Amino acid sequence: MSITLKLGDGRQFMSKTLLKLTTSLVAGAFIATAATAADTYGPFPVTVKGYEGDKTNSVSYTGQIARHALHDSLKKAAAKGDGGANAAEVEAMLLAYFNGSDEDLAILAPASKDGFPVKQSTVNEISKGKNISGKFYNGAMPAWPGNVSGQEAVLHMIKHAAQSNGGFDAENGYDWGQIISKYTMGAMMYNQAVDNYLDEKLEADNKPNDKPYKDGAYYTGKEHSWDEAFGYWGGPAHTMSLTPKQAYGIAKGKDLAAADADGDGVVDLKSEHVFGPAYYAAGADKGGTQSTNYMHTIMQAFIDGRQLIADAKGEALTDAQRSELKAYAEVIESNWEKVLAEATFKYAGSVYKDIAKMGSLEGEELAKAYRNYVKHWGELKGFAMALQTGKNNLGGTATELNKLIGYGPVTLDNTYVTGIDADGNFLRERRATWSDYQLQMLQAQKLLKDTFGLASLTNDATADLESLAGKLSSDSNAETD
Amino acid sequence: MEVWDNLIWIVQDFVDPRKRVFVGYLFLSLVIAFVWMWWVGRRNPDNTKRSSLRRLFDKRIFFSNSAKADYKIFVLNRLFSGFISPLLLTQVGIATGMFYLLHDQDWIRSGAFGNTPKALVVALFSLTMFVVDDFTKYLLHRWMHRWPALWSLHKVHHSATTMTPITVYRVHPLEGVLYGARGAVAQGSTIGLFIFLFGNTVDLYTVVGVNVLVFAFHVTGSNLRHSHVDIHYWPWLERILISPAQHQLHHSVAEEHHDKNFGAALAVWDWLFGSLHLSEREKDLTFGLDGRDADYEADLGTIYFRPFKEIGRFFKRRATRLWHTVPKRSSPAAPRKDA
Repeated sequence: MSITLKLGDGRQFMSKTLLKLTTSLVAGAFIATAATAADTYGPFPVTVKGYEGDKTNSVSYTGQIARHALHDSLKKAAAKGDGGANAAEVEAMLLAYFNGSDEDLAILAPASKDGFPVKQSTVNEISKGKNISGKFYNGAMPAWPGNVSGQEAVLHMIKHAAQSNGGFDAENGYDWGQIISKYTMGAMMYNQAVDNYLDEKLEADNKPNDKPYKDGAYYTGKEHSWDEAFGYWGGPAHTMSLTPKQAYGIAKGKDLAAADADGDGVVDLKSEHVFGPAYYAAGADKGGTQSTNYMHTIMQAFIDGRQLIADAKGEALTDAQRSELKAYAEVIESNWEKVLAEATFKYAGSVYKDIAKMGSLEGEELAKAYRNYVKHWGELKGFAMALQTGKNNLGGTATELNKLIGYGPVTLDNTYVTGIDADGNFLRERRATWSDYQLQMLQAQKLLKDTFGLASLTNDATADLESLAGKLSSDSNAETD
Repeated sequence: MEVWDNLIWIVQDFVDPRKRVFVGYLFLSLVIAFVWMWWVGRRNPDNTKRSSLRRLFDKRIFFSNSAKADYKIFVLNRLFSGFISPLLLTQVGIATGMFYLLHDQDWIRSGAFGNTPKALVVALFSLTMFVVDDFTKYLLHRWMHRWPALWSLHKVHHSATTMTPITVYRVHPLEGVLYGARGAVAQGSTIGLFIFLFGNTVDLYTVVGVNVLVFAFHVTGSNLRHSHVDIHYWPWLERILISPAQHQLHHSVAEEHHDKNFGAALAVWDWLFGSLHLSEREKDLTFGLDGRDADYEADLGTIYFRPFKEIGRFFKRRATRLWHTVPKRSSPAAPRKDA
């Protein structure tokens, strides 16, 4: 484009100034738009053709937020058992959160507390008719004993959680709330996002952008598919303005100021809270070597992808647009996988340290340390299983990881779970030393680090070796006499 | 700019306090040497401060053919320093291997002494590291003298006929690699052991980035070991620490001095294994190799390449001898002429 102005000298100068001014205004406006777009996930305009309702924002992911609330509550409910007497009652409760219920379920977590009021207190206030079971990974799950599918594994866990005392099985070394919760972060959230919405739903003929997601909807097929994936990720709309530390504080229910983006004094779970996957991304960025930026990387890719879809203005996406969108999806998927691997790495390190600590303790102190060890092991196991629910078959890595972690941790009498009997009861037919199990944790950390290219490396059990070796400068060792 | 960078790269050991030839240590060595020379000859009326200084900076030593070869080797060996850098990785690998190996042992568990006070752990680690380093240096040095193939390499160092602090660099690059590997093994396994036993409390007491005991060795004149300043200690101390004069005796051509005083900082290893020789007062030593190896003094071609030739010859001789030790058949068939 060229504009030629043939005017007198003085006027030509003025026009040039005018031109420059206009150009900078236009550029400024572009930057401003880009800046707004880059800041938060939505609002994005309604672009679906033929929509006649009054909605102006096409973003919608309340179904996923309801499922986060079901998940957090399921974890909480897993600790309600009293050792057997109320097993039936607790199992019914757990299954209600897992399968959904006709009744409006109370949100057990995240619940309001002093200094952190939460807007919604029942699941239906977020979204009605939602469940976890319908969105749960159901492929093979070799990490759990009994040759089970993904869903059979979690149902087996739920059954045992109901029979446990406060979600803790000291004999077999299980913390049910932790295992179920961390596993679900993979089997529902990660799996649905990366293996469904960011996978087949990005194809041209699946949920196209020139049609509503379903009849009468105010969002297009692609808009809503992307939103659903974003909803599972669990970051609030204003994630980009949060530091990992703030995001961590929100998830823990401690930082109202950071959570309350609209300033109404309460935390709206629909758009202001930090749930599971985003929380662990923040945790990885905040801890370890502090050299990672998973949370913002994933969030930015979600925002950029959504912007791209909005910019298509309700037309079908071209192949070029879809391949750009797939590139964003790839960023999300690979970083999300790393977040799960970083968490697995971190808890393998915790388990290693817990064993070292238990070695010098006795009586009450030992029991307390063992409780912590079992909790950390539950997180380790849950995340290791979560990693195996993604889009890619991890193959040999999964087999190796499952061998190293085992079906259960080494317990106080050195036995560990080796399988289940025909009734689903755990069998502990072998023994291992604490040292052997520590070694397996070291190997698990190495495997995870090497396979997934981890960088945060929280609780790296061999980091001290490297830092000491660095201190002893090796080339002066070559000094001879 | 590039020239300047290269120059810095070549002389960087002089500004690195982890190296023996760091200017600070060299300066302290000079002070020690000067005080020694002046004090030893204090009853001699000709011994003035000026004459002491003149003897200290004797140009027949610093500009001898042997010393000039040292300087050239110093620069040339910088080019080989790249061979040694990968050893840091090896060291981490060995530390990790040791760490893993210990987890496989049933009789000891990791962090078994995790509650030991930090100060004690750090002191113990610093001391152990120094002792292990010193002992493995002793061992390797001894082997460098005792095994003919290694002696071919180590000869390069002993071919110096005058000694200056730079003589410490007069080594065949392969010997540098051997010493580097020794460091990786010794330090790597000590690190692995300590982290296993004491957990993350393990650390090193350092001064200017170097183990405090190594620092002590350097500030007390480690540079004078390779010099003409024959500082000796009391006989009891020479059983514990190697004095500069004892190391100079190690370089002597006299037969009675051969294979003595292999130690680096500590003399106890020589004492324990029967290779200790106390220093001899008022006795002039001649440094270098015997007449057959005179070419080594200043000829760089000989210094860098002859060791390979000698090692080749050595192995050939061994192989031939091995061939002939196989007993012949008692009734050999007539050899076929056409075979």
